[in-house]
Amino acid sequence: MRRIWAIARKEFIHVIRDPRLLMVIMAMPLLQLFLYSYALSFDVKNLPTATVDFDHTTQSRQYLDALQQSNYFQINQTLTSYAGVDKAFESNTDKVVVVVGAGFGSNLAAGRAANVQILVDGSDANSAQLARGYTAALSRVYGSKVIVNQVEAKGFSTSSVPQLSSNTRVWYNPEGKSAAYYVPGLIVILVTTVLVLQTANTLVKERENGTYEQLIVSPIKNIELMIGKIAPWALIGALQIMLISLIGIFVFQIPFRGSVLLLVLSSLLYVSCALGMGLIISARAASVDSANQLAALVAFLPTLMLSGFIFPISSMPWALQAISYCFPGRYFMVITRTIFLKGGGLEVLWPQMMALAIFAVVIISLASVMYRERV
Amino acid sequence: MTDLAPNSELAIDARGLVKEFRSVTAVNDVSLQVAKGEVFGLVGPDGAGKSTLIRMLATTLIPTSGDAYIFGKSVLSQPHDVKPRIGYMSQAFSLYGDLTVAENLRFFAEIRGVPRRDLAARSARLLEFSGLTEFSKRQAQFLSGGMKQKLALAATLISEPDLLFLDEPTTGVDPVSRREFWRIISDLHRQGITVFVATPYMDEADRCNEIAFMTQGDIILRDTPAGMKRRVPGRILEVSLPNYREAMPLVRSLPYVKSLEVSGEMLRVLIAREEEVPDAEGQLTAALSAAGFKVEHVRSAPTDLEMAFATLIPSAGAAVADADADAEEILAVAE
Repeated sequence: MRRIWAIARKEFIHVIRDPRLLMVIMAMPLLQLFLYSYALSFDVKNLPTATVDFDHTTQSRQYLDALQQSNYFQINQTLTSYAGVDKAFESNTDKVVVVVGAGFGSNLAAGRAANVQILVDGSDANSAQLARGYTAALSRVYGSKVIVNQVEAKGFSTSSVPQLSSNTRVWYNPEGKSAAYYVPGLIVILVTTVLVLQTANTLVKERENGTYEQLIVSPIKNIELMIGKIAPWALIGALQIMLISLIGIFVFQIPFRGSVLLLVLSSLLYVSCALGMGLIISARAASVDSANQLAALVAFLPTLMLSGFIFPISSMPWALQAISYCFPGRYFMVITRTIFLKGGGLEVLWPQMMALAIFAVVIISLASVMYRERV
Repeated sequence: MTDLAPNSELAIDARGLVKEFRSVTAVNDVSLQVAKGEVFGLVGPDGAGKSTLIRMLATTLIPTSGDAYIFGKSVLSQPHDVKPRIGYMSQAFSLYGDLTVAENLRFFAEIRGVPRRDLAARSARLLEFSGLTEFSKRQAQFLSGGMKQKLALAATLISEPDLLFLDEPTTGVDPVSRREFWRIISDLHRQGITVFVATPYMDEADRCNEIAFMTQGDIILRDTPAGMKRRVPGRILEVSLPNYREAMPLVRSLPYVKSLEVSGEMLRVLIAREEEVPDAEGQLTAALSAAGFKVEHVRSAPTDLEMAFATLIPSAGAAVADADADAEEILAVAE
């Protein structure tokens, strides 16, 4: 116990006396928090839009007005031909161009299909996808309105006709706030980055400095060394999770609907996984550089890319989906989002909790075995 | 003999230690016994395998084959009985640079299980002993080279080991600190602590009770420093002359000259024994004068370990000669 405490205290001294490390631990989470929550906004409102109206009828104007009024589109110029479209996209003036073809009004009046062409700037994948969705939905709504008008014009009463209508409502994050989406996820990313990297580094550093040998000649057990090494980082990880959560809740006003206890419990499991990964890396890496690279490769990138933080796992190719199961980040991501936004408890999260627990046990066991081999 | 039960009266009892790194054999079947209370010197050129041997004895490196018993306990199967009794100071500085002198001592005391009540007294004594008392609040990385080594030694001694492994402890340390370091080692010796020290310096080897020459992974000679010198087959003549460098080929070619090294502005020549070559001084002076060299003086000098090393171990001798030649080259260029 005294030895564990000695190691842990020494680790704290290392952190406190290294201003750069302190910056990484405390400033990086905040920086990322603000970056992801403000700059990386995925909300699409007031999409810059241009229109081309080849029809010039009442119907075509009504349709374009409907777009304008939806708030999702900001019509900032009216083009007279296709020639202007390229320029509008290239100069980034517009992301969407809506083209109403000639005959739109007369086709509608005659009860025939009327077509609208939507051109989307695909170089901004996110806006493109959203714009496509919005315009399609609006066209459908407008289309059904037209049908109703026509039917009524022909003397039928629409009140007796059943209508299929869809009302989309976004639950858990009704305002589509990026922060609500990112803050819980950011907990996963930050804990992974800082903890895996630092544990991977501390041991490799000891080896490079030759202090590792001094530890080996001491009658200290591997388990004591391991616990002493990871305990301070577990604490730092816990502090980071608290910090991000509090800032998320009080600064970004994201909801916290679930149980604090469950968040603490799952954080503990995930922190164990991250520390174990760090230990494994440090047992294998030959130098600080290779430890950093390994940490990026096995911890940071997979957690960023394959946890569902940015890209939804369900829309990944099956091979990547399969790989994503091998990294504990994806489970913790589901857990944090569910706890924060949906308020789900153990009754829904038990599979993820189980997975994390299994990962924690396996990773820590593997780490202690590899650790012993090193000596 | 190697089948005998481990003798706990021996501080070190190594039996057939081998360490291979991939294709390189760093230590090749070394067996070595060191009695309690000795100051034992391990001498040899760089790459001889000294550090590898020490690390195996100090339990930080697992031998490819063989075993060693420290106070009768196996480094392989009973490392936890060995560790509390030994201290190991590696070649490179191996303390925490961002911890202060006092924090380093405290850290190593705690992980080595020094009783809490003894800590303050021992730290104070060791700081006093190593002259670091006034620097106890300084971070180790800001100490001078000599002070770092003394701190490393103090950290090693905090657990009061019975056997101390020192791997080239004074490399890169100024002469004053070196002398002081060896004064500390003498004190430890008087307290009955066994010291096993690897050193490239012959003057340091001379201070040991016994020395072993190690080269190419083997210990090929073991003796007291005096015994080592007596083994030298001949005697030393110091020849002083102005352009000694040009004279070297001639001196080397003389039949009774066994080896030759440069020492300062003189040539140190190993000559066959008196009974074989009477009046070598006269013969040497005559030969040099005949070739047109102006000999200032030729006088007999005591053999030293350097000469013993050079003559007893041909390959090592070549290495020493090369190093000297290099040094001479550098000097010549500098001039």
